[in-house]
Amino acid sequence: MATRASVERLPYGIGRWSAGWVAVTGLSLAVLALGVFAFARQLIEGEVVTGLRNIGTMGGATWGLYVAFIVYFGGVSFAGITIAAMIRLLNLKHLRPISRMALVLAVISIILAALSVLIDLGQPFRALINLPLYGRPMSPFFGTFSVVISGYLFAGLVYLYLDGRRDAAICAERSEGVRQTFYRLWAAGYRGTPAERERHQRATFWLAIAILPLLVIATSTLGFVFGLQVGRPGWFGALQAPGFVILAGVSGVGHIIVLAAILRRVLGAEDQLNPHVFQWLGNLLMILTATYLYFWAAEWVTTSYAGHHHEVALSNALLTGEYAWLFWLSVGSLLVPFLLLARQFVTGQYRLGVMVVSGVLVNVAAIGKRILIVIPSQTHGTLLPYGTGSYSPTWVEYSVVLGLLALGALLLTLFMRVFPIVEIPQYAEGG
Amino acid sequence: MRRTLTLVFVLGGFALQAISYFFLAAPLGAQVNEAFSNPRVPFAALLFVLGVMAVFLAAVVYELLPERYGE
Repeated sequence: MATRASVERLPYGIGRWSAGWVAVTGLSLAVLALGVFAFARQLIEGEVVTGLRNIGTMGGATWGLYVAFIVYFGGVSFAGITIAAMIRLLNLKHLRPISRMALVLAVISIILAALSVLIDLGQPFRALINLPLYGRPMSPFFGTFSVVISGYLFAGLVYLYLDGRRDAAICAERSEGVRQTFYRLWAAGYRGTPAERERHQRATFWLAIAILPLLVIATSTLGFVFGLQVGRPGWFGALQAPGFVILAGVSGVGHIIVLAAILRRVLGAEDQLNPHVFQWLGNLLMILTATYLYFWAAEWVTTSYAGHHHEVALSNALLTGEYAWLFWLSVGSLLVPFLLLARQFVTGQYRLGVMVVSGVLVNVAAIGKRILIVIPSQTHGTLLPYGTGSYSPTWVEYSVVLGLLALGALLLTLFMRVFPIVEIPQYAEGG
Repeated sequence: MRRTLTLVFVLGGFALQAISYFFLAAPLGAQVNEAFSNPRVPFAALLFVLGVMAVFLAAVVYELLPERYGE
């Protein structure tokens, strides 16, 4: 066991549990328990307890909230690893403090995405055998699970491990007992010699180069799951893959802004997470939001002006019909942050609160848009002579999704209690 | 030693991906019969995933292994 003195020498409150941390952990555990209970109901009684039904014959949707969140979590993960890789490749030293939190966010998000896939399947444990046994690597569906999930997860874990060796060595010097053993294992003999640093620089540079194309291909693959379905109005289209990449960036950068703002306050890391970091993230979010709004407008004009009547009917359901509230909520949740961030960019007066609000709003938009991509095409987009369908998630689906979000919060909290989520500054190495 | 092993992981990983994709998984082409649905070798998809992992593991090998014994 580590002594009180050794724990106090560790940075960012590692090993210390204040009332606030205990409350966050307790709340996360309670919501997670609700999610586990709901999932157990689904597992025992089948997917009949969800709002999912067959398309056409049962007038429902086979892909619902779970699939929307697979895409959402995958997108957040994409942005996390991409930002960490870009920081390394472009040598953006002032952004180093957000690199690790981006990686942790990426790893946690992809775990949640993998769980969402399994939860969506009627027999998740059977799928664990059948996917690796019978999967076709050339299928976009398999690509979602192999390249996206295994690739992101493994790339993120490797990057996180290598990136954390230096800080693990520092923490090992300041701790004792089981905690010290853990840090020593992570550090794997790292001493910070010039040769080691150079090797680390070279390894992470090539890792970043390998990661970036994989990520773009993988996220595009997720887009192709929808974009290649020629018989499904609203899905089939060339903009799905690039749109998925951009929207992934929007939601991920929004997440990182919110997380960085919370950690800046909670960990007292004002020096590392300074206004310059947020300024850079805010400008990046503004560009990504503008790009996605352009994509969205281009898609809408094409389908509503020149699309066949099935596309127009779907477009009407989105603009003025059943899904209009969510459509306009999502548009507004992208447009407002863009205008706020553009105003900051033009005036040069950046405010943290504005950026946090923008980060939250773009994630509302990202979730809304993912729901709008997944569901209306099934209920209103069939080419077969079925009537329009409907889909309403049940309490089971809402509880499971909330449980997943709580699991994410719990994993993040636990990580922060055992390892520095913000890189220890160079000047603090000595102790 | 370190460089060689790193290269083995990178090339081996890519080779495993290519072999499992083109030769071990279900054949490419129109699915005219069930032979196009089932993998030619069971767990071909898992081998593809292991190939992806091996490529990334090369970075760990490169960074952790000493250049030569006793370094």
